Amino acid sequence: MSTVTTSSGRPRLARAPRTTPPPEIRVLDGPVLLAHLDDGPSLEAHRRRFGPCPTLGLDAIVDATTAVDVRGRGGAGFPFSVKLTTAARRRRRVVVVNLAEGEPASAKDSALAIFVPHRVLDGAACVAHALGAHEVHVVVPGDRPGVGDAVSHAVTERRKAGERLRWTLHRARPAFVAGQARAVLELMAGRENLPVTAWVPEAVSGHRGRPTLLSNGETWAQVGALLRGGPEASAAHGTADEPGTTLLTIARDCRDLEGTEGIEGTEGSATTEVVEVGYGTPWSALLSAEQLARPVLLGGYHGTWAPPGRLSDAVVSRSGSAALGLALGAGVVLPLPPGACPLTQTSEIVGYLAGQSARRCGPCLNGLPALADALTRVAAGPEDPGDLDVVLSARDRVDELLLLVDGRGACAHPDGTVRLVRSLLRAVPDETTRHAAGRCDFTPGPLPRGSAT
Amino acid sequence: MTATLRIDWPACQRRGLCAEVLPEVLSLDEWGYPVVGAAVPMELIDLARDAAAACPHSALRLLRDR
Repeated sequence: MSTVTTSSGRPRLARAPRTTPPPEIRVLDGPVLLAHLDDGPSLEAHRRRFGPCPTLGLDAIVDATTAVDVRGRGGAGFPFSVKLTTAARRRRRVVVVNLAEGEPASAKDSALAIFVPHRVLDGAACVAHALGAHEVHVVVPGDRPGVGDAVSHAVTERRKAGERLRWTLHRARPAFVAGQARAVLELMAGRENLPVTAWVPEAVSGHRGRPTLLSNGETWAQVGALLRGGPEASAAHGTADEPGTTLLTIARDCRDLEGTEGIEGTEGSATTEVVEVGYGTPWSALLSAEQLARPVLLGGYHGTWAPPGRLSDAVVSRSGSAALGLALGAGVVLPLPPGACPLTQTSEIVGYLAGQSARRCGPCLNGLPALADALTRVAAGPEDPGDLDVVLSARDRVDELLLLVDGRGACAHPDGTVRLVRSLLRAVPDETTRHAAGRCDFTPGPLPRGSAT
Repeated sequence: MTATLRIDWPACQRRGLCAEVLPEVLSLDEWGYPVVGAAVPMELIDLARDAAAACPHSALRLLRDR
């Protein structure tokens, strides 16, 4: 994602398009999931490189995914093997590949689906066979037609090759919350693609009340690679504590990216990069020293702000991030452009997230717009110098709303928004008082009032 | 042993009956939606059941804590 200039002339994070194809994306060759991109996406090339779809029993799959600790990419990073054993307890199991990335800046699952679809589908197929599931559902983002086309083509190839699974494609609405697990299950059941309350995990009772194993594209690709190569091969990357690799979607300024694969046929003006790195890779290998010296938004719009310099000596790690109060989440990395203010950016992101509410849960419907409004007033600073009370009461209102919104919805949308704002207040704790005084640590000169709206 | 009240947020239409039946545990926020204060103690379990039953949208459930 590049630095774009607003009408006020101040740089901000480029906002991902809401209903259009993904932003310009470059996909770089990686060690495992993104290895041999030159092979192309065909089933024939995939089989030539990797051989037949692995066939393993349930116990072997549970052992392997436990050994390498394969986890989901939601905020909680739930262990795959726990979901698997839960789903296996009841009969008539269903497998779901969720490629509907809610985070607008995330492109990892789109990249996998377009360039190496069979690495994702092999993982799901192998586990489906082990579970005795005959149906595999694939949910694709409705606003990225290239993903649906790629998956549709890949499934046809598999059918022609004689695979006896029933693959069903579903197109998710172009909305932030449409990719949430329960919203996906609603879509599959033919209802509105919106989140509903989950009384039990979907692995217990999911699609039409049946035990459902639902994971994102990257997790299925990780499972596929693991079952093909074994835990030892997966452990060749990463660290002893955290074996394996992870996909990251990194916002980049325009620069030369010759020799990389592009989505949507873009040339030389890449703004977003999908990369695969081993756990333990230093952030300094991925971002410049200047970027690391500024706040970095990790995990996307439901993610967490890393304070200035916090990542300079840190490595890519789930547990390491958690220890720093950060979350890798879906692996979106948004460095703050020079001259941009994280407080103003966050107020704009919260405004976007408020608009993405499914508008069905009261606290989210009422609380997110109020939170966006209060943050915007804090970011804008006092109208008259010395008019501190207005700003300070807006600041108190932010704290009040964070408590009122947190945990009070059917899906994680309000919680993710709260996480973002709380991380901002932790990452740049003095910034709100500075704005109250009409100053900003990140944007030189006096606050340009009104630019935050 | 205690129990927890959980709200089916998309179903809740802020009728507010629950908070009238069980003010010891439930209050209403500034928009009229219930705020669950704490776990329901044993002596209030019957009232909590009444509160759940009182909801015209069946948006409240009493779940036993493990």
